Amino acid sequence: MAIVSANSNISRYGRPVLAWGVALLFFFPIFWMVLTSFKTDADAVKPEFLIWFKPTLDNYLNLTENYDYWRFATNSVITSVCATLFTLVVGVPAAYAMAFNPSRATKDILMWMLSTKMLPAAAVLYPMIFLAKGIGLYDTHVLVITVVSLINLPIAIWMLFTYFKEIPKDIIEAGKMDGVSTWGEVKEILIPLAWGGIASTALIIFIFCWNEAYWTVRLTTIDAATLSKLIEGNRAPEGLFFGRLSAVSTAAVGPIVVLGWFCQKQLVQGLTFGAVK
Amino acid sequence: MTNRSLPRLLQAPAVLLLLVWMLVPLSITLYFSFIRYVLNSLRRPEWTKPALSNWRGFGNYEFVLNNKDFILAIQNSLLIVCSILILTVIFGVLIAVLINKTFMGRGVVRVLLISPFFVMPAVNAVLWINMILDPVLGLQGLAVAGINEVIDGLRTFPILGGFFSMWPELEPISFRATQTSAYAVITMVTWQWTPFAVLIFMTSLQSEDQQQKEAAVLDGAGTWSQFRFLTLPHLARPIAIVVMIQAIFHLSLYAEIEIVSRGNGNKNLPYLIGEFANNNIGAASATGIFAVILANIVAIFLLRMIGKTLMD
Repeated sequence: MAIVSANSNISRYGRPVLAWGVALLFFFPIFWMVLTSFKTDADAVKPEFLIWFKPTLDNYLNLTENYDYWRFATNSVITSVCATLFTLVVGVPAAYAMAFNPSRATKDILMWMLSTKMLPAAAVLYPMIFLAKGIGLYDTHVLVITVVSLINLPIAIWMLFTYFKEIPKDIIEAGKMDGVSTWGEVKEILIPLAWGGIASTALIIFIFCWNEAYWTVRLTTIDAATLSKLIEGNRAPEGLFFGRLSAVSTAAVGPIVVLGWFCQKQLVQGLTFGAVK
Repeated sequence: MTNRSLPRLLQAPAVLLLLVWMLVPLSITLYFSFIRYVLNSLRRPEWTKPALSNWRGFGNYEFVLNNKDFILAIQNSLLIVCSILILTVIFGVLIAVLINKTFMGRGVVRVLLISPFFVMPAVNAVLWINMILDPVLGLQGLAVAGINEVIDGLRTFPILGGFFSMWPELEPISFRATQTSAYAVITMVTWQWTPFAVLIFMTSLQSEDQQQKEAAVLDGAGTWSQFRFLTLPHLARPIAIVVMIQAIFHLSLYAEIEIVSRGNGNKNLPYLIGEFANNNIGAASATGIFAVILANIVAIFLLRMIGKTLMD
């Protein structure tokens, strides 16, 4: 009996302590970034101000002067919002059709769509630049939005498909019996039932668009450059600007990390294509 | 509108867009990989325009295969991807099992743990390489300097001082510009993707058969054999999925390598393509085709596995 109680003591106190330790360790770099963002650039590299320092908001107040932050942030918002909307406009009808009217080819089409996601971006980078410059779209919102939508479209369709598949077909059939039109079927029955799935797909796709770092960096110079490009441009500040660099980084990832907290569950389904439940 | 054509019509935009997106750039890459095509050449200006008359056959492929950077890039790609996979799966399983039971503040622990996954890759790399790993100003530099100071102080002690004066001064490690930069990349990506593995394993553990576990406990199975013979087999599928999804993402790792070392001493395949593309588009395209082949090998396995569960 004694062994059992010692064991349960360990699992009673040891597990939470260990779990909290691990969680804090993983969160530490983010915490450190946020903490440093409240230090002046000079204080940020002095060991004596490691933990105790005089907090300042200057780094945030000077985001525009130091980095032209809002311009890049605006571009990120435009790109992510438009790309998410475009993805949904193309993806929802496709996923709807595949979930409710599957044909023999549906499975193959879905697999093929996913396989486009696996095409290494670097392999087609130069042709993309070549084409974009050829038709005068290099460094424009249209190009970035199109590309970012297309790389996320397969995941969006997969997520929507797994959600739509869960909706019982009988409800739709019953609607058809009652003589509801196709449009009515979509509006009155499907949208209310699928709303949750569409919303969480939108959230996940928005996060992916926001964090996209290959095409947005490679296909832009200034006009359509997003926050990824801004941060990438400050890769080696030689330690002089830790304070302001932390502030701009925090401003770039903060909203998305918070958004991410709310869609952990959907993330599992979205990224494993429903294969893990 | 008949019953059959409407679904097709609804799928058409998505299918067509993805078809164009896949076929057009890929065929251009394929075409470029068979011709001589450079951005700047004073001696052979005719090579600066893509044209069929500059046909080179498999010349670009031979050039790439004989380039020692190519072998290094493949080795490096494999080193980085495999290390990240092994680390994230081990940490992921351990952490998922750790937080699988309810305890105080479990919700907060989950939120803290998952956060790194949402940090954009550029910020991840800039944060780690400057503020944490920098040998002078980062936390690593500060920690090493601090430890050295403590040891220095101990040396002045009467008897123990003799012992401590035999200790060497610690040297901070530079993670930029040498082979060590690969370890920096592995560290930061592992930090970012372990939460992903945890999330998926945790979801899967919740569907573990509890009755089976209770039966095992009654039969006198210890914690280890429960883990080894029940939990681990249950996690086999999620582990395979985590491995393959990550392989696809990490084979095209780019931003982190660019930020950490600009490819110095540590190039992977996408980075090598980028370097070739500064001038030699033909070679860059041939390397690209190799990257496509490599990605396809992984993709085939992943697609097979997902395909099995798709329709049930």
